[in-house]
Amino acid sequence: MTGLLTTAVGSLPKPDYLTKARNAFASGRIDGDELDKLTRQATAECIRMQEDVGLDILVHGEMERGDMVAYFAELLTESIAIGGLVRSYGNRYYHKPIITGELHWQGSMTVEMWRYAQSLTGKPVKGMLTGPYTMVEWSFDEHYPSRQGAVLDMARVIRREVEELVKAGAKYVQIDEPAIHTRPEEDFDLALEAMQRVVKGIDCEFHTHICYGEVELIYPDMLRLPVKQIHLAFKNTNFEYLKLLEKHPFDGTKDLGVGVADVHSHLVEPLEEVKDGIQRTLALMPPERLWVLPDCGLKTRTWDEAVAKLRVMVEATREVKRELEIE
Amino acid sequence: MRTTAVGFYPKIPNRPRPARLRQAIARRDRGEINADELARIEDEVTIEVIAEQVEAGLDLITDGQIRWDDDQTYIAQRLDGFEITGLIRYFDTNTYYRQPNVTGPVRWTQPILVRDYQFAAGQSAKPVKALITGPYTLAALATDSHYGDRRRLVLDLAEVLHQEAKALAAAGAPIIQVNEPAILRHKEDAALLQEAITKMLDGIGAETALYTWFGDADGILPQLLELPVDVIGLDFVWGPANWGALKGTPFTKRLGFGIIDARNTKMESVEEIAERIREVSELVPPDRLDVNPSCGLEYLPREVAVEKLKRMVEGVRRAEAVSV
Repeated sequence: MTGLLTTAVGSLPKPDYLTKARNAFASGRIDGDELDKLTRQATAECIRMQEDVGLDILVHGEMERGDMVAYFAELLTESIAIGGLVRSYGNRYYHKPIITGELHWQGSMTVEMWRYAQSLTGKPVKGMLTGPYTMVEWSFDEHYPSRQGAVLDMARVIRREVEELVKAGAKYVQIDEPAIHTRPEEDFDLALEAMQRVVKGIDCEFHTHICYGEVELIYPDMLRLPVKQIHLAFKNTNFEYLKLLEKHPFDGTKDLGVGVADVHSHLVEPLEEVKDGIQRTLALMPPERLWVLPDCGLKTRTWDEAVAKLRVMVEATREVKRELEIE
Repeated sequence: MRTTAVGFYPKIPNRPRPARLRQAIARRDRGEINADELARIEDEVTIEVIAEQVEAGLDLITDGQIRWDDDQTYIAQRLDGFEITGLIRYFDTNTYYRQPNVTGPVRWTQPILVRDYQFAAGQSAKPVKALITGPYTLAALATDSHYGDRRRLVLDLAEVLHQEAKALAAAGAPIIQVNEPAILRHKEDAALLQEAITKMLDGIGAETALYTWFGDADGILPQLLELPVDVIGLDFVWGPANWGALKGTPFTKRLGFGIIDARNTKMESVEEIAERIREVSELVPPDRLDVNPSCGLEYLPREVAVEKLKRMVEGVRRAEAVSV
């Protein structure tokens, strides 16, 4: 029996030298080549760390990205402008993009960094994209008369990027849709159709990550998403989602990614607690269809916290596998 | 016709203007300044946003809710009976608030908003509206670990907020605006809202308004018109069905006409705004119109919000010029 593969969700913490370099680049004190060199250096550190920790499938760490929407928005220069600051909560603000013209793919946005990361390791590295619904939902729209038009055009952009990643050799592509439960009744079918248009007919294993919202409003509907793995932030709600799975079994053909580490807490989860979470989930999912991950991207943690959280996750998974005699 | 805002003015401007409040909160969090120093910056920013609203030409302004993180916690954390828990999305926005949880009987201990109102009123050349989250919405956006009965919680909150409304009126607030967006998602509770608002505003000697946003009041507009308030605020941008509701019901109060999209940067033209005002004037006489954005302005960058307010005021002037 095989199963219980481990991976990360996407972002890893940026080392201090890279944060400083990104600020220096923004204020014109260093050039793009200098920043790129340091971005690659940090990416190599991300790959080495994940190999050292022992993850099965790796992420490239998103060292080149500020945030998951703005990164793509800034590259779609012919149809998106970067707007002013808007508050998201507390004292946190973000530059909200503004869709100003018809969305179209202008050139590859993620292939170069993926290819570089993959060149450093024999383990598979996931391609990482933000889904069309989330891209549009987290932007202003001054161009399209309806959200549907914008989301479906954005789906074309993201699909083209998937094609480029697969052409470059990516076997796994993760398409994050954390906004998918914003308007479940009104928009779930639109988000679903957009995802179908992104992945249809492309030979690659697709994963999606959905977090922090009323997941219960789109379960079991989310099982209609045409992806192999759906990853949810279980730890954030102390495994309350298990109740959803008890009420309505998870799709028999899909994999579930179970989030076992809280990415908003400095505390590293105790080994026994992580094992307990995995075991409770295993009561409802066979091991060959269960993946173990942190709840979300780890970029908000310090490097040491992130490494410690991944280590305990891998260690707990190994112990559970040993007990169940899983390869 | 009167021009006004619904609430929540963007807290920081964009470059090259400095983000003073953001920096001050970060410094307070790092222990570099104390709460009094932060409060002084909050006062200064409040003065700044009052001046911007007056300059944009609003007849009736708010203090911009500069000190509020959101409509829920600013009130809940100052009442007995609440704890503040994890982040959750505010309706269908990309803005989040820390969700209050009711852990015991809710009680009012001292005025929450009076000092804010007095400060703003002292700084403004125009009348200042006091804003307060309504009992229904305060309950609906919280979790409840104590009452186990929505109705009892809402009515207890109505009693609590009655104390606050009384204190605001005694402090001289000419208008008290009660925010109840959550009722649009739970129209079946319109009778409970009626009971709660009646309790909250009983005997309050000030003009009163009840505002909603992010949806329409289709189906409950007649009930809203029976509430003991002077103004009903409706969002015609994110609730276009309000047009139909308005056509089907003789409108007996002042209308808070939310017609500028406060959730998208796309600019309405002055002519477009004037045209919509002419349209609504056929259903509600102009002297019973408060023209305002569709909701609070914090979903927009500061500069966009200001420009939208200016155009709104100009749109009102153009509509008035034609109708005279």
